[in-house]
Amino acid sequence: MEMDKLGVVTTFIHNIVVYNIPLLYGTVGEIMVEKSGSLNLGVEGIMAVGAIFGYIVGCYANSLGIGILTAFLMGALCGLLFAALTVSLQANQNITGLTLTTFGLGVYFFVGNGVKAVSWPVMNDYENIKNGFADLTIPGLSQIPVLGRGLFDHNIMVYLGVVIALVMWWYLSRSAPGLRLRAVGENPGAADSVGVNVKRYKYIHICVGCGIMGIGGYYMGLNMSGSFNSSCWINGYGWIAVALVIFANWNPALAVLGTFVFGFFNTLRVSGSSLAAAFPEGLGWLAAVPTQLYQALPFLITAIVLVVSSIRQKGSGQPAALGLNYFREER
Amino acid sequence: MHFHIVKRDSCPFWKKLCLYLAAVAAALVLGGLLLLVMGVDPIAYYQRMFTMGMVGNKIAYKTFENYLKVFVPLVLTSVALSLAFKMRFWNIGGEGQFILGAVAAAAVALKLKDSLPQGVVLILMCLAGMAAAGVYGALAAVLKVKFGTNETLMTLMLNYVALYFLIFLGETQAEWNFFLDTSSARPVFFNFGKEVAFPRIMIGKFGLNVCVLLTLLIGVLVYCYLKYSKHGYEIAVVGDSAGTAHYAGMKVNAIVLRTVFLSACLIGLAAAFKVGTVGILSTSFTDDVGWTGVIVAWLAQLNTGIIFVVSALISMLQHGSTVAAATFAQVDSSFADMLQGAILFLVLAADFFIRFQVVRAQKGGSVNGNG
Repeated sequence: MEMDKLGVVTTFIHNIVVYNIPLLYGTVGEIMVEKSGSLNLGVEGIMAVGAIFGYIVGCYANSLGIGILTAFLMGALCGLLFAALTVSLQANQNITGLTLTTFGLGVYFFVGNGVKAVSWPVMNDYENIKNGFADLTIPGLSQIPVLGRGLFDHNIMVYLGVVIALVMWWYLSRSAPGLRLRAVGENPGAADSVGVNVKRYKYIHICVGCGIMGIGGYYMGLNMSGSFNSSCWINGYGWIAVALVIFANWNPALAVLGTFVFGFFNTLRVSGSSLAAAFPEGLGWLAAVPTQLYQALPFLITAIVLVVSSIRQKGSGQPAALGLNYFREER
Repeated sequence: MHFHIVKRDSCPFWKKLCLYLAAVAAALVLGGLLLLVMGVDPIAYYQRMFTMGMVGNKIAYKTFENYLKVFVPLVLTSVALSLAFKMRFWNIGGEGQFILGAVAAAAVALKLKDSLPQGVVLILMCLAGMAAAGVYGALAAVLKVKFGTNETLMTLMLNYVALYFLIFLGETQAEWNFFLDTSSARPVFFNFGKEVAFPRIMIGKFGLNVCVLLTLLIGVLVYCYLKYSKHGYEIAVVGDSAGTAHYAGMKVNAIVLRTVFLSACLIGLAAAFKVGTVGILSTSFTDDVGWTGVIVAWLAQLNTGIIFVVSALISMLQHGSTVAAATFAQVDSSFADMLQGAILFLVLAADFFIRFQVVRAQKGGSVNGNG
């Protein structure tokens, strides 16, 4: 009995990681984009585009690597579109982003339904995808009781996501190009005057950031075993990622922790009842909480974080020029 | 050779029109090429889509009624959003405001339908919808003027809080939940369409919902409000420059609050109209009008008259693609979303050539001193 309880806790931790690391990709990608001063509300659509192309191409090529690469490139292509419109053509960022979401979801269903009408590739028929996405146990660390199997026994996309987040943290806060990028996001005019190529910095970082979101979308598709139906694989995760950027205060390392916090509620929604059953005295009340509350909590918490950080002002990681286009001649 | 980008002061109307039409045409051509690749005759498809299959159809009036059901919420939401956008207040919370307005209107309908005459219930529904949505929208505005909270992100978060509240109401069977039909074993919303519905004016077989007339009236009122009233002038000045408005002695915060409240109220009214037309809530009640409305308002450059035209076209695209999907089975109705996206991308690109001018820089000197 005691073992069983521990098993429930381990599974719970395991699920937090598996189902919420896609958020980390979306968040880290969006942090990169926002640090360049662009507010991109197209995360949901970009993840969807990356997902559908990554999944289909990955299956046909029977290679997880090609799937990841395709998802990245398609995401980056969406980023290129966003950058062309907002950086070169000075279009409004909010509108462009929202349109990208509509457009991306349109592409997702159009391509998906089109392929499904012919023949839908099933992930488990492709050896390399199936094996590539299988759990990799990290020797040693995974032996830690309870936490070990919860944290160190996952598919490669989980590790990749955490590595990307940590590299991004280093890049943004410790490297020279990262410093210049932050300058572009804070005050593009000043960055320009000391010789930073503002346009190039924006283009590159928007594209790479959107590419990372695309990989997150692909991961979500794999998580659903690639079963394609009327609800999108991304299912609102893109918007939660936008929220998580604020929650993490534009810091990729904090985003890892934020993913756990948001993921905690997300996982309670799915497996709260099994926790309640395993610990009826302490956690029995969990069964009575409406699942929609867990779904709303990430947004509610973010709203509160937004208000609190705007009252405190100091220490906010929000780039000062976020959402504003840079027009050189107006400097 | 070197090029410069310079802001234009003005652009002649015919040039604007040509550029926008060219952008829409280009999007349609791109869509047409895609259809060709799929082996579908693009002309036949577009014809079906833009006529919504009404030509030579005996029940065309029915199609038109359904089309208006898509059109009314969209146009009203877009007009409402344009009020806030004029002040550069990025209210993208249309979805959430629409949902709360709908819930409030439905609550009034369900609670009062047996005790009050239908006309009174309908009026109370409109008022309740406006109040609920207005307060929800004003919340973001208060935080913005008081603490400088980013309104784009705030209204975005509130959308989802409202959405899950609606889903909660739709999926929770309980004693207190009067939104659900108690006679059903599965949780479904209560349908009060038979008891409470906006009256329709019959023109032959075609029933014109009074909401359509009211929407047109509101359009005219908003146009006049923006163009001729003191409030409208204040909105324009604040949108141009909050600093100027402040210097001119305007109470900027009060203007922002008032306008955002009004904007959200109108969205609530749109929701009440829809509740009183379809007679039942659903978890996808908004049909994305909050999002599409943002796009429509922007496409129309926040011009009230043009919003009506653009809404009519976008509704045609959306409703037409569902109709066309019945004939052209291989073209998914998501084609409309892609086409809508392509149109807006190209219009945004065309917009650049309206606002800016590309000039060649001369050797040795710059065209405009600050280059």
